[in-house]
Amino acid sequence: MGITELSLVEALLVALSGIVTVFIMLAVLCIMIPVISKVVSSIEGKSAPAPAAAPAAPAAAAPAPVPGGTYTGEVALLGCDEKTAAMVMAIVSHETGIPLDQLIFHKIKAL
Amino acid sequence: MEFSFIEVIRRILAESGFAAFASQPRNLVMLIIACVLLYMGIGKKFEPLLLVPIAFGILMANFPLTGILDDGGLFKYFYFGVEHAIYPSIIFLGIGAMTDFGPLIARPSSLLLGAAAQFGIFTAFLLALALGFPAAVAAAIGVIGGADGPTAILTASKLAPNFLPAIAIAAYSYMALIPMIQPPLMRLLTTPKEREIKMEQLRTVSKTEKIMFPIAVAIFVILLIPDTAPLIGMLMLGNLFRECGVTDRLSDTAQNALCNIVTIFLGLSVGCKAIADTFLTWDTIKIILLGLLAFMLSTCGGLLLGKVMCKLTGGKINPLIGSAGVSAVPMAARVAQMEGQKANPSNFLLMHAMGPNVAGVIGSAVAAGFMIKVFGMG
Repeated sequence: MGITELSLVEALLVALSGIVTVFIMLAVLCIMIPVISKVVSSIEGKSAPAPAAAPAAPAAAAPAPVPGGTYTGEVALLGCDEKTAAMVMAIVSHETGIPLDQLIFHKIKAL
Repeated sequence: MEFSFIEVIRRILAESGFAAFASQPRNLVMLIIACVLLYMGIGKKFEPLLLVPIAFGILMANFPLTGILDDGGLFKYFYFGVEHAIYPSIIFLGIGAMTDFGPLIARPSSLLLGAAAQFGIFTAFLLALALGFPAAVAAAIGVIGGADGPTAILTASKLAPNFLPAIAIAAYSYMALIPMIQPPLMRLLTTPKEREIKMEQLRTVSKTEKIMFPIAVAIFVILLIPDTAPLIGMLMLGNLFRECGVTDRLSDTAQNALCNIVTIFLGLSVGCKAIADTFLTWDTIKIILLGLLAFMLSTCGGLLLGKVMCKLTGGKINPLIGSAGVSAVPMAARVAQMEGQKANPSNFLLMHAMGPNVAGVIGSAVAAGFMIKVFGMG
């Protein structure tokens, strides 16, 4: 038979122990996740072969921004031409509302 | 045998549901409530996938003389799935299959925001006790604050079956009203400068991490609080279907067909328990108000811890994402995104808010498991 009636002190204790339980549970998960991530990355690091050669697709230079307003850097284009890449960058900028001089593209890959 | 047409018509009318309303006028009120809920679901699009079957269940349950709820009646069998926590668990399977835990794995501290946003559950529990509800019912009412419909239904079915319809309707109504309830609290508890904070991009989470996460969470959480097994177990199984890469068909079924089928049964079963004698009471109004309060307090809990984390990280965390800790995936995260973007148009908080949002699902399941453990009948 569970509890049916509670005194004020008992009720406060239940509420307090409830929120503490939730916090402890999620805090332990919070600690556990990085541990899992470390284990996974060490396993993947060991099993992964030496870095493969870069994809055959050409890595064309494309404008990448710096805060000063000048455009510099490179973006890897994988199976996609410069014209398409320029369109993609313009669309992303337009849809997100972020000016192109504040966006950095690392690579654009055709799926 | 003498046949009288007038007599036959008179008997049909006398034995019809219309005539029965004379002795059961409260059922007529329930039909009006059902029609209002149908309007809210269809006309206003408030959680229509659940509100429409719930409202129609109310309609069906309150037609006099149908016997649909009696032994042998259709809804008696439908309700079996609620009574034994089958439907909420299957819905959780679908939610798991739809959820990407990547943002949570990338920023584990999100879990603390998900925990803080369960604050409303325990304060509403205390308030419900103060209003004279029995402890088990107060616990079930408090769980509305988790903003998680299936969890609220599961807890109510175990701790307060007579109040299940009021609790379910309150939970789903407030989930639908998140875009109206949360923004004023968000603006009240945060400064414009805090809302403008842009957060760093999340790291990429590997496939293996995503596969290991549901297995590890299921093992740890269920071993610690076994009462969370139906919800956490099915949530994590659904997520494993999604992430493992070899069960795409199962993931698809869990996300779509199965979830939709069970939603129909769940909605009808919840609605059919809303009969006049148990629903048209002051307790229902109290539950609706307590649910709103629980929801607001949970939002405040998440926001306040968000502010603390903002201070501790030197302004790297936007406190708005704390409000998403109230489960209600992905609506609460969208609200955080919208408010963040209002403050700073180049602000993109959606993925950052998804972390606390899915953490809230785990947090509310843990809180519900705790309440069931303490107040369950064994």
